[in-house]
Amino acid sequence: MALSKHAIEEIKALPQRFPEIRSAVVPALDIAQEELGYLTPEAMSEVASLLQVDPGYVEGVATFYTLFHLEPVGEHHFYVCTNLSCMLRGAEEICEHIRRRIGVSREREISADGRFSYEEVECLGACEFAPMMRYAHAYHYELTPEKIDALIEAARSARPASARAGVIDRPESQEAEQGHGR
Amino acid sequence: MAGETRASLAPDDLRGSHGPARHHLLTSLFGTPDLHRLAVYREHGGYRSLEKALKEMTPDQIHAEVKASGLRGRGGAGFPTGTKWSFIPKDVPGPRYVVVNFDEAEPGTCKDRYLVEHSPHLLLEGACIAQYAIGSHQAWIYIRGEYDRPYRMLVEAIEELRQAGILGPRPFGVDYPLDVQLYRGHGAYICGEETALLESLEGKRAQPRSRPPFPAVKGAWGRPTLLNNVETLANLPWIVDHGGAEYAGFGVERSRGTRLLSVSGNVQRPGVYEVELGVTFRHVIMELAGGPPPGRRVKAFWPGGSSAPVLPESMLDVSTDLDELARVGSMGGSGGVIVMDDSHCVVKAARRLIRFYAHESCGKCTPCRVGTNWAERTFERILRGEGTVADLQILDHVQDALQNGRCLCGLGDSAGWVIMSTMKHFREEYEAHALRNQCLAGECNVQRVGAHA
Repeated sequence: MALSKHAIEEIKALPQRFPEIRSAVVPALDIAQEELGYLTPEAMSEVASLLQVDPGYVEGVATFYTLFHLEPVGEHHFYVCTNLSCMLRGAEEICEHIRRRIGVSREREISADGRFSYEEVECLGACEFAPMMRYAHAYHYELTPEKIDALIEAARSARPASARAGVIDRPESQEAEQGHGR
Repeated sequence: MAGETRASLAPDDLRGSHGPARHHLLTSLFGTPDLHRLAVYREHGGYRSLEKALKEMTPDQIHAEVKASGLRGRGGAGFPTGTKWSFIPKDVPGPRYVVVNFDEAEPGTCKDRYLVEHSPHLLLEGACIAQYAIGSHQAWIYIRGEYDRPYRMLVEAIEELRQAGILGPRPFGVDYPLDVQLYRGHGAYICGEETALLESLEGKRAQPRSRPPFPAVKGAWGRPTLLNNVETLANLPWIVDHGGAEYAGFGVERSRGTRLLSVSGNVQRPGVYEVELGVTFRHVIMELAGGPPPGRRVKAFWPGGSSAPVLPESMLDVSTDLDELARVGSMGGSGGVIVMDDSHCVVKAARRLIRFYAHESCGKCTPCRVGTNWAERTFERILRGEGTVADLQILDHVQDALQNGRCLCGLGDSAGWVIMSTMKHFREEYEAHALRNQCLAGECNVQRVGAHA
């Protein structure tokens, strides 16, 4: 999978925003991941050559930050907070419910239809609405099994964002905003 | 962002104290419809402080007011803000930066998100005042990557400021260029530590630097840099408007003013509350946040994020005064108050936090890298029902090895404090788990698991 012309142009425009070129590495990887769903070795090499930095350096950065995926994730990927404030309000049960509903036995496993996966993450900074998660570039608050079911149902009935597995869903921003409602 | 109207950004789901009250210095306007829009913010007096600073005050006068206010950093360390500003060299030519720490990732802390979602311009005004005060023309806001909505709100607010000419070459007609840029993090707790944040901003793996040189002298891209937390900077408009002495009229002794506390966990009204420093945790937890669910008791609370040593229910009358917290062996930290009731197991909670520190250790310093993982494995053994007296001894050793300046940053200390403080106040729960395979809270299913061991 190679990056699109559009992504390449975006990446090439990044360095001028920063005093030093290396500051562009993370935003460039972000553009690549948004397009490909996860960071393939080829994508990291491409970013490296576009920014004229060492490929090993780019990989070192990519492996440090948890928001970068080095393997495919589901088209719909839930980042569920399981840190203390959420754990005290039922995050473990939420994770168990997600596993059962999408049919996986562990985090980062992709459902059989290739569309769903979830990940247990550290504190997302919305502790007053625990348990909560990030999904489709929005926060979802005070999770219950019913809310999870509704989100999964809505995702299942929606047209797949791409036939290709491993593409992160990018809904219209209006939908993303609705995620904030309770 | 394309296709998104301004109105859709207006948050309707923020929870905590806001509106007028004598001690609501930051939050008095919160809840005003469309406060996130520049026009509304200005209708309520917004950017008057920046205009006053630029037109009527010298940088030294602003610095003097901040010193007089007694303001201490709201990110975690509680360092006096005026003193931090004084470390910035005055006579170094070339660019210098204000870097805003909006990485907010300390477990139990959500107050900076709350602040920015209510009033992005409050932060931006503070960041502009700080630029002027230290002779900088460029602020960078380092915002954690998961904060999608605050990011979009700041993008819009910055665009509004550019159009209004408040960011640009001549804000309010004064020849003092100002600018603010955003940089998104990508998931690493360590970036809240200021030198790790700078490494990240420079596009590197976020591993803390050894100091000296301090960021004030050699910070972002090798330039003099002032690093302040979101809430710290958001206090500047009020201080410039009212004067440092009036700010210092709030609070107690060496903890002046107010602060935002995010209260989470087992309380009936979790939320972000602005309190005058010096009120007790009993007031915060039992009154503002409504106390534990009916029929439950507070077992323990973390007074300042997960890195602040835990305190038992018997210490609810401890005050939010940073120095009093230090005297009782904890700290004010990030203002994240996590409350745990008596249906939960302290050992299990400590295990979860240790897993967090082990996961977030950047790996640079051996005591932290090895110690947190060692501790995590020991907790797993104990909770699987395979604990022995040796495991308790291991935890005793590891908590000590993680502490006391053996690492470049405070992450190792924080992990050590989790173990130290939970064992100090709840030793009997550890012994019951490790030695008798019992969970005194009745939360862990140890008998069944133990039977398999």
